[in-house]
Amino acid sequence: MEAYIYLSPAVCVLAAFWFLPVILSIIISFTNWKGLDTWSTVKWVGLANYKNVLTDGEFQQSLLNTFHYVLFSVPLTMVISLGVAMLLNTRIRGRAFFRTFYFLPFVTTWVAISIVWRYFYHREFGLANHFLHTLGLPRLRWLSEPQGVIAMLLQNIGITIKNPILAGPSLAMFSIILTSIWRMIGYYMIIFLAGLQNIDKSYYEAADIDGANAWVKFRRITLPLLSPITFFILIISMINSFKVFVPMLIMTPNGGPDNTTSTIVFHLYEKGFQGLWLMGHASAVAYILCLILVVITLLQNTIFGRSVHYGG
Amino acid sequence: MKYTGLPLSDIQRQKYKRHNYYFNIILFIGLFLGFHWLGPSTIVLYLLSFGILSLKFPDQTSKKKSHLFWVLSILGLVANVFFILMLYRSSLDMNRFLEFALDWWPTPLTPVAVSKGLLFLFLILICLFYLKPRHPGIIARNLKYQVLLIGGFFMILPFYWMLITSFKSYDEALAFPPTWWPGRFQFSNWVEAWNAPKSNTYGDPPIPLTFTRYFSISVSVGLVTTAGVLATSALAAYAFSKMNFFGKGIFFYLIIAMMMVPGQVLLIPNYLTLARLGWLDRYAALIVPWLANVFTIFLMRQFFMTIPDDLWDSAQIDGAGRFRFLWQIMIPLSKPVMITAGIFAFLGNWNSLFWPLIVTTRPEMRTLMVGLQAFNQDAGSEFHLLMAASTFAVLPVVIMFFFLQRFFIQGIARTGIKS
Repeated sequence: MEAYIYLSPAVCVLAAFWFLPVILSIIISFTNWKGLDTWSTVKWVGLANYKNVLTDGEFQQSLLNTFHYVLFSVPLTMVISLGVAMLLNTRIRGRAFFRTFYFLPFVTTWVAISIVWRYFYHREFGLANHFLHTLGLPRLRWLSEPQGVIAMLLQNIGITIKNPILAGPSLAMFSIILTSIWRMIGYYMIIFLAGLQNIDKSYYEAADIDGANAWVKFRRITLPLLSPITFFILIISMINSFKVFVPMLIMTPNGGPDNTTSTIVFHLYEKGFQGLWLMGHASAVAYILCLILVVITLLQNTIFGRSVHYGG
Repeated sequence: MKYTGLPLSDIQRQKYKRHNYYFNIILFIGLFLGFHWLGPSTIVLYLLSFGILSLKFPDQTSKKKSHLFWVLSILGLVANVFFILMLYRSSLDMNRFLEFALDWWPTPLTPVAVSKGLLFLFLILICLFYLKPRHPGIIARNLKYQVLLIGGFFMILPFYWMLITSFKSYDEALAFPPTWWPGRFQFSNWVEAWNAPKSNTYGDPPIPLTFTRYFSISVSVGLVTTAGVLATSALAAYAFSKMNFFGKGIFFYLIIAMMMVPGQVLLIPNYLTLARLGWLDRYAALIVPWLANVFTIFLMRQFFMTIPDDLWDSAQIDGAGRFRFLWQIMIPLSKPVMITAGIFAFLGNWNSLFWPLIVTTRPEMRTLMVGLQAFNQDAGSEFHLLMAASTFAVLPVVIMFFFLQRFFIQGIARTGIKS
């Protein structure tokens, strides 16, 4: 029975602030809760909140923005961090030095670095436009450009894209994606590096004897043996990307140009804690986000789970 | 292996590698300065000298050198001399001359011009790779260094920019083209930024509000929460790893399931609970909900499982109780995991924005991050002050990182491997 005494502090806090809210949240999402209403003043509205959320144009836009964010930031971050980890995993000088530099952005706070990048992307005197200017390229509007990046690229060769899904994330969103790549590379690099160092060197020696080149070694040894790590990173980076909020709040406080940087959590914040304080609506948004995450995780498990190579 | 050279001694090899490393760094700095002073034409020179660098310090000294080697060497030497000369001359305002001489970079970027440029790069690369068998590994290594250096440059650039702008004057911070080194260091920015929140103060009597207040709230809330999380998690993890009790499986399953729930689901009910309790704008709102963390419990439980049960048996023989065993044996043994968990708890708390943002409405109860966010909204385009504020918001964590780097990196690496 002593065990319960040891458990009680953690369980009390968890019960009050983790378990209970999960249930309360469902109930609130079925009511027309606004601001600081009480249980006696709210009305049960059934699935109306969910229906409102799903038919809300703003929510659909934020859903699309979030998907764009995830589709661009997750693969790019993973490829770059794997590349850096592979470079750092060879015998080179100054390894610890490089590792510290690449990791440094991750320890800094989102709020502070978002302010720095907001300045970096400034239309008139930002460093990003200075670089473009030096290269003789036209300046961009960065954080205030609602046009999709794919559409902008294809426009140069004369193809116009009207469909907002195919147009890709707006340049404003893409700027934020670049920032988040910059911030997250170090974190995933460390995990990849640990995975790479865990691979037995004898595989590579055997491959050398067989005369395999670098690409074959990467494709046939590194990738399969690294797949559990890659899978883990894929899942956590997807989950984290779906919940992105802070850089949007700092860099584009009003949801960006044409609302193109408003994400699901940003939408939740605006509906639940600003303006009308629609708690019921916001709870429904939170549950839809939760559902998306569950579905994505399950999908990944069924699609990639089989090709993950454990052991060996 | 096609080359037929004399093998080098280990000492010579070490020397070559060291030189190779330093020359890579010098070349990179040259690229940066050249780009800054001379413009894009530097890229040509950069690639040429890169080629030379790949040839100058081979792993093996080759007796027979091809004509191409000499051609490229001389070309690279000329390019390097020209490069240094132009660096010197550019300060004498010879920019126009140089741009005229090396104006291969097309200013309106047309497809023809781009393909010309690409063809040029391609030719250089062909030259480089033609020489590859003679000097194995050198080109790849130089490429590696250059990629890492250029990448590292962009990783550090925002930090440099933040720090250097924090010393600029208002006008210089808004200058275009931007300056890489402030004309005059204006250290008063830091003081001004530190005292900036004062203008937001209201209330009766008004509390003098500076970043001192934000910092003290963030530090005290962070320390109390971290201590609380470590205590509750250690106790719970101890129960889960070393004791048997009814419902252990269910409890543990619930905790694992909690890790899957996104924190956003909890925000609204927790906010309403705190509002009902009258805790909004109080320290309790910032601390109490975060006093237990499922991830920390899980992390510690995993570590505690690796401590053998024999220790408990022998401790019992010596007459120690369960709590004494936890306090005197388990916790000292699991110091690394405690430090890692502590760092993550503190960082998570220090960096959190959403929760403190919604539970604080009065300015004097803001944490550092909320204060910074509010300052960002108020300051508009006063970037010199914003950068100063960002610098001192980032500084404590960066200093902590340099002291505890080992624990950061081990902790993250462990989460990856354990999965």
